[in-house]
Amino acid sequence: MNSRHKTILPWLLLSPYIIHFLVFVAFPIIFSLVLTFNRWNIISPMEYIGLSNYSRILHDRLFWKAVGNTLVFLSIHIPLQIIVAITLAEILNQKIKLRPFFRGAFFLPVIVSGVVVSILWQQLLGFNTGIFNRMLTSIGLGRVGWLIDPNWAMPSIAIMATWKNVGLYIVLFLVGLQTVPKAYYEAADIEGATKWQKFWHITLPMINPTIFMVVILSTIGGFSLFIEPYVMTGGGPLNSTLSAVLYIYKQAFFYYHMGYAATLGLFFAMIILFVIVIQKKFIEK
Amino acid sequence: MYIKLILLLIFLSGICIFTSSCNRNKNKNNELLFWSSNNLQEIEFAQGMIEAWNATNSPHIRFQPVPEGQSSEEIILAAVVAKTTPDIYANMRQGDVEFYASSYALIPLDTLKGFLEFMYARCDSSVMDEIRSADGHTYQIPWKINPIIVLYNQDYYDELGVVDYPRTYSEYLSLAEKFKEDRDGDGYVDRWFGNTETTVLWYQRFFNFIPLYYAASGGAPLIKNNKAAFNNEAAVKVFTFLRTLYENQYFPIERLTARQDPFLYGDIATKWTGPWDVPYILKYKPDLNFNVHPMPVPDDYTGVSHTYADPKSIVIFKYSSDPQKAWNFLQQFLSTENDFKFFSLSQQFPRRKDLLTDSLFVNYLKENPRLARFAKQAKYSRGISDTPYMKEILALISQEYEACVVYGKKEPRQAIKDAAQAVDLLYLNLSNE
Repeated sequence: MNSRHKTILPWLLLSPYIIHFLVFVAFPIIFSLVLTFNRWNIISPMEYIGLSNYSRILHDRLFWKAVGNTLVFLSIHIPLQIIVAITLAEILNQKIKLRPFFRGAFFLPVIVSGVVVSILWQQLLGFNTGIFNRMLTSIGLGRVGWLIDPNWAMPSIAIMATWKNVGLYIVLFLVGLQTVPKAYYEAADIEGATKWQKFWHITLPMINPTIFMVVILSTIGGFSLFIEPYVMTGGGPLNSTLSAVLYIYKQAFFYYHMGYAATLGLFFAMIILFVIVIQKKFIEK
Repeated sequence: MYIKLILLLIFLSGICIFTSSCNRNKNKNNELLFWSSNNLQEIEFAQGMIEAWNATNSPHIRFQPVPEGQSSEEIILAAVVAKTTPDIYANMRQGDVEFYASSYALIPLDTLKGFLEFMYARCDSSVMDEIRSADGHTYQIPWKINPIIVLYNQDYYDELGVVDYPRTYSEYLSLAEKFKEDRDGDGYVDRWFGNTETTVLWYQRFFNFIPLYYAASGGAPLIKNNKAAFNNEAAVKVFTFLRTLYENQYFPIERLTARQDPFLYGDIATKWTGPWDVPYILKYKPDLNFNVHPMPVPDDYTGVSHTYADPKSIVIFKYSSDPQKAWNFLQQFLSTENDFKFFSLSQQFPRRKDLLTDSLFVNYLKENPRLARFAKQAKYSRGISDTPYMKEILALISQEYEACVVYGKKEPRQAIKDAAQAVDLLYLNLSNE
């Protein structure tokens, strides 16, 4: 093999990744950065408008509302998801009957299409004919406007998203729980520790890296909230379920404000980065 | 060996590029490409008409329904970006034309030989004024309309003792009060007088606010001289009327899309819709006794009830190899005979001024009295103001609509004023950029 071939071979072997990176990662990022300084509706030529897109964000009441809604969603979704996932993982880590079945059953919603799950829950949460409200009225309680009451709509979506995603985090916590050395529990038993003390002082500290990973993953997943409000509420009622990604999508693909949507996307990515850095600082303590 | 491999890759890439450029060459054999909508009746009509044309005329027309996608609008946009548009597209929403026209994607049709003479013979001058773009050119052929009016369950109206249809808001609301019912006794209304979409999706206003606004204002425009023109008493009355419908539970706030059709199955008595629902009902519930009447108007309104026309247009894209020949074909496509064939097949109304006078149409309407009511309304149907920002404008109106009409968080006068200010601000921002 001559020296020229030796030089080409590594590049050739790397070329699938390099081509993929250049076409699907580098180019979109650079192009979207360029877009932030332009007005572009896809079919007209781009028009340079300087920093107008950035200054527009500051006055965009609806965008900030969408960011606030996303934070509301996260504040319900993340704690709920972690508590439910740890609880179920702890139960599924015990020697219970039909354990493989339950492990599979809890994971099932994760692999079902988000659109299908959203349509299903839309019917469950229906005001007039939904099963939840029928159950409430059958026991003499009033109906709840799960998706039509601005105070209830986002919590409803958060609960539904938790149901959809919790299976994945159960698996992660199960892996974490199985890495805790049994000797720790045996030592604690000798010392007379209660179940709660063992969970609080052994299990939780030992699965801290898993908790960190779950918080980061569910934060990023939560920030990208889109399918559920898109299908179930369209962002309503009164914009209470308008998530930031849904708003960016509307700007890009309803109104063709590609430059502004790219700016919103960049800005939103910075917000996510900021939140993740803060989380890392606190959780890793 | 590696050099050979690289040469092979380059060769394959060359073949791909060559093949794709061949695919783009839609003008082989000097054919013109025609896209229709995916509606079965429209496909049947266009196929038949084009076959007849190709038998005796040139250039030949190649027919294709608009390719499948999430929406035809998305497909058209992608085609414009990729420069793979058809020569002719027959089904563009009138409100979308300005978007493409202002991006120089369409042929100004008034520059084609014989266009204006033909169109003024076919349409009222008011229609021609309505479709003229801001730059003074005309980029669309007003092809068909579907007036939005009230479809009602005749049996329910008979039960309520309705002799004449409810013309005014008071009459409509009074029937709604009599009709709403809690059938299962659980304390919640489960039979409503009507239903219309409550979501803030911009295009949903075409089926509630806009037809009611046209009815209340005698067809006044929403936008005039790049300013909101709807900050008036008519719009306030429409918002007040709509709000009353939700406040008193005459209409449900919940979307009824996830269940069986509420009109077909008797959960509602009226529906604001277009003539496309007539064949749908006849297909799925042929025994349903239904009819249509105009949109209700404010109590003090004395004129004719106008409505929104849901107009669709034909356009010629700028990538057309021969726009003049495309127009020559379209003159045949729009002949009286072809318009009638299209009408009788699809039950959609050609946008022509002799709809109520030409014997072909008159005789057909005599045999189809339901359609005759739509046809009467066709004369008083309006499109939408030509502006490339119509989506944003309707989205702004929708925000106020939801706050005021659906959730009662704002007074109608304030909501209309805020919507108008938001629209004015939109134009101001656009002019400053």
